Amino acid sequence: MFGKYDLSMNVKTEEFEIEVTGRGKRRIYRRKTKEEEVEKIIYADDGNIVVCPVEPVNMPKIGVAEHLMVELKKPVIFEPDMKNTFYVKFPLEVGIFTVDRKDVERIDIFTTVKGKYALYGPPESGIICRWWRSDVYPEEPEVNPLKEGILRVDVENKYYEWVEIQKVVFRAFDMKLFYNQHAYMHGVITLLNKTTGETSFNTRKPKNMHGSIDIYAAKGIKKFDKKYYMEWGFK
Amino acid sequence: MNVFATIKDTLNYEVAGIKIIEMIEFAVILFIAVIIARIARTITRRRLKEKVSPTTLSSIEKIVYYGIIIIGFFIALPKGVSLSGLLVAGGVAGIVIGFASQTVVSNLISGLFLMVERPVEIGDSIAVGDISGVVKDIRVLSTTIRTWDGIYVRIPNEKVFNSSIYNYVAHGARRFEYRIGISYSDDANKAIELIKGILAQHPLVLKYPEPDVFVEELGESSVNIVVKIWAPSSHWYSVKTEMLWKIKVLLEENGIKIPFPQRVIWMAGGEKKEGRGKGK
Repeated sequence: MFGKYDLSMNVKTEEFEIEVTGRGKRRIYRRKTKEEEVEKIIYADDGNIVVCPVEPVNMPKIGVAEHLMVELKKPVIFEPDMKNTFYVKFPLEVGIFTVDRKDVERIDIFTTVKGKYALYGPPESGIICRWWRSDVYPEEPEVNPLKEGILRVDVENKYYEWVEIQKVVFRAFDMKLFYNQHAYMHGVITLLNKTTGETSFNTRKPKNMHGSIDIYAAKGIKKFDKKYYMEWGFK
Repeated sequence: MNVFATIKDTLNYEVAGIKIIEMIEFAVILFIAVIIARIARTITRRRLKEKVSPTTLSSIEKIVYYGIIIIGFFIALPKGVSLSGLLVAGGVAGIVIGFASQTVVSNLISGLFLMVERPVEIGDSIAVGDISGVVKDIRVLSTTIRTWDGIYVRIPNEKVFNSSIYNYVAHGARRFEYRIGISYSDDANKAIELIKGILAQHPLVLKYPEPDVFVEELGESSVNIVVKIWAPSSHWYSVKTEMLWKIKVLLEENGIKIPFPQRVIWMAGGEKKEGRGKGK
């Protein structure tokens, strides 16, 4: 499903269908899901279409959120100086790009899962996040690759007391997605005390996986600070 | 030959100690500086448009534009002109102009404070006094607003600074509420569950803070349920306009009536009559 295609392509799954048809310079891009249908005209001599997972903060409305909040169905408690790893699922968003040697252009983003937003922090200074609830898994869970991705979370408790977490917030600017049969991210959380911590991403490419096109990097947006500071707690 | 000599003499003619040729040089260099400043401003805007906020972009544009003009001014300044003398003259002129135009100075100072304090930014939805709309620009002397019905309004910065400013999008989320009356014969708990269910389906109704739905009062004609919803500040209005009708349709589909105002009248003879309206 994910990968690089020629300018004439067709991907059909149970949840959606993507196709680029036509000949010569003028092509028609079509994408169908159960809820909507999108059609665009592409003028191109050569180039490719890339279908890959993107930062899961763009849907259902682009521009509302730049952070992902994963609420854990069961709270996780870490003893002082504990380092451990768990896995959660995240909502899949698929990006379709036109690429050539000079440039990358996003032509579509969609998801097949229902979206919801939540406020992290107080109304006067909090941030709107894409909200998602997930079970916590000790090992990589089975996912529906058309709807979910796997987020590995490495946690280190640097505080001298026990810390309980019920939710984690990640910033889209820091995200690095990979894919093979499913989407994958590798997050890192450092617990600084009971209510604050830092979240970031391990950007090293796992074996047998491909790197996605990062929308925020494609937009030319860069952040000097590669960590998000969770200052409003984990509950 | 005489023509050239005349032109040369004219160009070398001094007015207030400055040659005319130097004045022309000054004007040309300043003109070129303005053109370069405009080009630089356009390039800055195009390069940074998607990378920084509109307010920051506007500030950077102004710094680039006026910075180049000021540099051009000092490069163009004729050699005979004393900089310290110019500053003294400018200072004196400033005082005179300041006294003569206190309102302008007041607007200028207010504008500077607005730029430092930043209670509003370009693109914010605000209300100042009885004017509300979207901030289009914050200039040194005035703030321009496009009202909701598309009218350009220029508000002097002094007025903005001295007024209560309502910034509707300064915070990430904001709350709005509905009051919905249902019939006394209907189940309020069922209505509350239905409303909570439809709110849970809408992506822009925030999960946290959770919507609050409860019976607020037992009214004259209805049981009044209040619905308090948090939504992203950037989209609250679309959610507000969308949800009320959806709730009304949902309640009616489930047999819950939204009653008209009504009053039961007991006649002196014991005969009971029911009527609509708040009249007799």
